[in-house]
Amino acid sequence: MTSTSPGDASLPAPPSVDGRRLGQAEQHDSLSARNSRLTPGDLLTVKVRRSEAPAGGDVYQDFQVPYQKWMRVLDALNWIAENAAADLAFRWFCGSKMCGTCAVRINGREVLACWEAVEPHMVIEPLRNLPVIRDLVVDRSRYEDKVASLEPWIERREPYTRFPEPLTHKQMKDASKALDCISCMCCYSACPVIGLGDLTDFAGPAPLVQLGQTALDPRNSQEKVRRSLELTGIFNCISCYKCEEVCPAHIPIVSGVIEPLKAKAAQLAPEMARHSFALRDIVARRGRVDPGELVLRVQGLRALGNLRRILRLLVRGKINPIKTFFGIRTAAATAARRLLGNRAGKP
Amino acid sequence: MRFAYYPGCSARSTCAELNDATHLVASRLGLDLLQLESATCTGARELRAIDPAGFYALNVRILALAESHGLPLMTICNTCTLNVLDAHAAFVSDPELAASVNARLAEENLHYSGRTKISHFLWVLHEDIGEQRLRQQVVNPLTGLTVAAFYGCHITRPPGRYGFVDSRNNRALERLAEILGCLPIEYSGRTECCGFHTAAHDERVAIKLTGQHVLAAKTGGATAMVTPCPLCHTVLDSFQPEMEDDIDQKLDMPVLHLPQLVGLALGLSPEQLKIDRHMVPAGVLDSYAATASTGVK
Repeated sequence: MTSTSPGDASLPAPPSVDGRRLGQAEQHDSLSARNSRLTPGDLLTVKVRRSEAPAGGDVYQDFQVPYQKWMRVLDALNWIAENAAADLAFRWFCGSKMCGTCAVRINGREVLACWEAVEPHMVIEPLRNLPVIRDLVVDRSRYEDKVASLEPWIERREPYTRFPEPLTHKQMKDASKALDCISCMCCYSACPVIGLGDLTDFAGPAPLVQLGQTALDPRNSQEKVRRSLELTGIFNCISCYKCEEVCPAHIPIVSGVIEPLKAKAAQLAPEMARHSFALRDIVARRGRVDPGELVLRVQGLRALGNLRRILRLLVRGKINPIKTFFGIRTAAATAARRLLGNRAGKP
Repeated sequence: MRFAYYPGCSARSTCAELNDATHLVASRLGLDLLQLESATCTGARELRAIDPAGFYALNVRILALAESHGLPLMTICNTCTLNVLDAHAAFVSDPELAASVNARLAEENLHYSGRTKISHFLWVLHEDIGEQRLRQQVVNPLTGLTVAAFYGCHITRPPGRYGFVDSRNNRALERLAEILGCLPIEYSGRTECCGFHTAAHDERVAIKLTGQHVLAAKTGGATAMVTPCPLCHTVLDSFQPEMEDDIDQKLDMPVLHLPQLVGLALGLSPEQLKIDRHMVPAGVLDSYAATASTGVK
């Protein structure tokens, strides 16, 4: 044992600290903290990514912009266009967080230029994951084409049960959140899976939110919803919540849209959710996940193709075939069997 | 200080060394851990999507087990932490859900009233042990050890819920590393995702994403990485050879579980902390470990 006593009574109780907020103050992570760093007349240093380098220069062009009270990123861009670079291309329309056209990246973060306070030093870049047309303007057609392919509308073949049709707010809860989307593409730019290009068939957060507006509406044709979901690669979402972090409309994209859509997929196209059903089944029987069984169930014989890793894992005792094939009954297994049973069935 | 302790599935299988290190370090720090033996999996990311009722039942049961002992709950896995936080939030805001879950728990005489405080080990270190006590316990400062903190996702996001701030501003791991004597480095991967949750059906995403993060840590000068999540650890460590193949470059980046880094500074040896159970050898850390000459062990 160490010489110091762990519960040293001479020490006062630790001061009130919130582990989840450590760093917030030093990073000026609030509007008032950010605004208090600047006074009117201060010069902001702004680096803007241009699509072509001005004669002999870098693609990043430097500007000094005089700060005005309550200045937004959009105001800084307008100042640059009026006073320093008339040819700077950027897109905006409403100026009030509604049209979703002015999204850019500031110091690596996706924001709406019209709704973001300036910072003393800013690197302004176009959104990622979409081709740049010029300077800060991106080509949104990849997104628009994807959304159109998902048939984001309501289709009805069956007659209405009554008119007006009975509908509760609870049934519309998820679709209603998705309807707050302004198509600004912040989430599409922040998504790491979309950042990997064509590696997967993942549609991305923004198209899924657009689909959620109608696919999560209980009045929609379930056959059409199934058809749409099959085009989304939705189970390639890695649940990182990066999209939620940048959404200016504060839509709970993962838990309020993507997960309800996954639930729909599990119900209408169970083959898409094979991996999820396998995990559920394993937990229901064992109480816990056995990584060996999960990989075998999901990948089948393909799993054995990766012999090098299997051997590595075996040598370090990270997988245990005895446990996998002759797992013992535990208290956790009893509880899980009782609570999960076979209710959700199998694909 | 006593906690009901929920290790989760990884720390009981692929990352068993994490469970062992947690127990060792906790006892050094004066934390009394009551391991919840009958607790089940929290359902990872799969159950919550395809079977919400089952998800709430399993997670609220874990909270009820802690409550039955009158103890706060301590977790060591990011995804488990967010699952119990989400289940708790749904439970307290939806009386119908609460009643139906409690009806199912009643079959084994369990009941949840919504009182369990949930805390990840990282937060326990800052909030319950505190900087002053920690500094007092550091008998083997890891002076000059450059570490890259890898937070993972589910103890810093979703933003705006459960007290989470913009994850990119979180400094809890760096602050801790400094207390232990380390030099935390800045790099692009610190609050990025390891891709674990789709790795069982398509590991290419995890390999591509995390390869970039490990490379950034290496380029940034890190001697080792540290993570508070066993799922991130599995990708960062076990998949590293595949990342090296993918980028055609050696990485050789040792990855420590959070309690292992703390344990080294508390004077525990790499063997005691089972750092040798990792895929990537961590011999480079031996010079930072306590030796007989420092009078510790």
